[in-house]
Amino acid sequence: MRTNPITPEERGKAFATQRKPEALKKQNLDVRYHIEDFDTNDRPGRFLEAFAAILKHSNYKMALDHFIRMSAKCSRCATTCQVYQATGDPKDIPCYRSELLLSVYRRHFTLGGMLKGRLLGSGYLTDEKIQEMADSFWNCTACRRCVLECPSGIDHGLITHLGRYILSEIGIAPRALVVSTREQLEGKSGNTSAVPVPALIDTLEFLEEDMLEEKNVEIKFPIDVEGADYVFFPAVSDFLMEAETLMGIAAVFKATGDKWTTGTGYFDGINYGLFYSDRILERVVKKLDVETKRLKGKAILIGEFGHASRSAKYFIPTYCGGKDALPVINIMEYTHKVWKEGRLKLDPNIVTQKVAYHDPCNLARQRWIIDQPRELLKAFCKNYVEMTPSGEDNICCGGGGGTVSIDEVRPYRTTVGGKLKADQIRKSGCEILIAPCANCKKQLKELIEDQKLPCELMGLHDLLYRAIIFPDSMKVKKADESESSAEGI
Amino acid sequence: MESLLEFARGPLFRFSIIIMILGLARLFALDLYSIFRAHQKAGDKSLPWGLIISRSIEWLFPVKRIAHNRPIYSIFSILFHIGLLLVPLFLYAHIQLWEKGIGFSWPALPYSWDYWLTISTIVFAVLLIIGRIFNKSSSFISRKQDFLWPVLLLIPFVTGFVCSHLSVSPSNYQFFMLIHILSGDMIFILMPFTKIAHCVLMPLSQVICTLAWKFPAETDDKICTTLNKKGAPV
Repeated sequence: MRTNPITPEERGKAFATQRKPEALKKQNLDVRYHIEDFDTNDRPGRFLEAFAAILKHSNYKMALDHFIRMSAKCSRCATTCQVYQATGDPKDIPCYRSELLLSVYRRHFTLGGMLKGRLLGSGYLTDEKIQEMADSFWNCTACRRCVLECPSGIDHGLITHLGRYILSEIGIAPRALVVSTREQLEGKSGNTSAVPVPALIDTLEFLEEDMLEEKNVEIKFPIDVEGADYVFFPAVSDFLMEAETLMGIAAVFKATGDKWTTGTGYFDGINYGLFYSDRILERVVKKLDVETKRLKGKAILIGEFGHASRSAKYFIPTYCGGKDALPVINIMEYTHKVWKEGRLKLDPNIVTQKVAYHDPCNLARQRWIIDQPRELLKAFCKNYVEMTPSGEDNICCGGGGGTVSIDEVRPYRTTVGGKLKADQIRKSGCEILIAPCANCKKQLKELIEDQKLPCELMGLHDLLYRAIIFPDSMKVKKADESESSAEGI
Repeated sequence: MESLLEFARGPLFRFSIIIMILGLARLFALDLYSIFRAHQKAGDKSLPWGLIISRSIEWLFPVKRIAHNRPIYSIFSILFHIGLLLVPLFLYAHIQLWEKGIGFSWPALPYSWDYWLTISTIVFAVLLIIGRIFNKSSSFISRKQDFLWPVLLLIPFVTGFVCSHLSVSPSNYQFFMLIHILSGDMIFILMPFTKIAHCVLMPLSQVICTLAWKFPAETDDKICTTLNKKGAPV
């Protein structure tokens, strides 16, 4: 699928900076996202120092050595990249972006590069190059779709990830992500949205009342239950903005009777470390493990959330015990499993609108969760339509890689990052778009608003909540009671 | 000229083959060692072998994704690679040279294939050069070696075609044959030091990409110590 490049007016809007000139001057860095003040002295030297430290304690060297020998510059990634398609700027070609960091590696960390650089007196890392990387690595939505199309197998997503990590070590990281993470790791609330525990409990009680009213079933959000099968970690922002998703999930557990719980010690699945720092990634992942073990839970259950699921699924084993680590599952895997087992009944006559499913990159790119949500949706939606391409080859919402949390780049996200996605949604003609990821939801809602798309956005469990059938035995007021009370009125 | 030819297809050929084999073997061994080390360091040692093998096969026999993007360029590239592999390895004249150089031989392709395989490889190489020059994104990211390699690869194909399929005078024949062999030798020598190393490294790409995401455990502490950031706020 292709899209047309943006117009010069759209370009002006997408790349406009909201930062004050004095901040740009002080930080000597002309990028679009806000950054906290940092040491601007000898940035190249400190960049190389951080790069060396990371190489020493990681597995990146293996990949970089392989990539510099392999790269054939075939340009197939260019036609895959939705950012490049929208901007038409060759500097947005994934292979070019990767070369920014690979050239630094080649020049400063390989024998040939060092000799050549010394002999010619050239190629030393400069402030200008750091500026270019700071721009380029945050233009990318880290969707890793280009990785699938590279014949040489170069993982441009990995290089962008590493580039952002090194930049963050010298203080260059979007303020929105850093401030949230600081609250999560060092703040009083311990979560990215600074939701205090009493507010969490109030919210959940309020939702329980709502569900009782709507479904006539006493559906609970168990809190701090020890020994539960699943300890639940949604995006903490779901407690504020995606109540219906949570209600759908609670309803599924009510129907199956399995034990689950939310812990008051830690209840946030968000892990911005995946987007800008492996050190942060490690610290946040460990919080999930500690809380689950505190509650003696048997498994970590992540809500409708792409990057949280990926960071837990792939990095709990890394940082918390290898093959002995706690199992991690995504809520869609659970719901699909219980539906297959016949423990969840769905009404196929409730949803009649045209429904399409958006694959979050972090769930689909590695072929992890693709078929399960589709099978569920087809079970209760009369009119399911598929967007093309989808699954492993899906098109990113345009807010991936943490960019969705950077509010000042919204015009970029909805004009450039999400342009191809907007075209795809429009083409599908769907009335309801399902996006089972808190980040995708926020981005797609803004995309629908800014690009005036004629559809409604929701999570999978939001829609499933409408179709779920509870047995009469679970009803608080039985059918005959309801009738008699109605007669009394 | 005769002695020069003998030198080019004798000692120089053997030397270039040794450089190529040792150079490529070194790169392959280095990659294997890196994989072994990375796997030892990884906190999570499990690997999705099904996914790795299926994606490796997809690219070693690149049919599935041809039509996804740049289909014409991709088809030309595949056909070019087929010629590039078959002509040096399976043409009768080359097998004789291999036997002379390294002491053993294998079955050759039918003679009638020589003509069309050589022509098609030349044509696709030219088309690939044109594609690289005139495609905006491709020319922007290309380095000097990306333009020079197809040109260098064309030399032995064109001279080989002249020698085998065109009527030329004996002196001209010797001249073209010398260029043919010298350029071939040069290609062998350069292979391990340029992007052509992908001919042996490619099967390892998918495992390396997957393993690179398997980070070592407890890196936070180690990097903080190295960068003197212990106890520093987030």
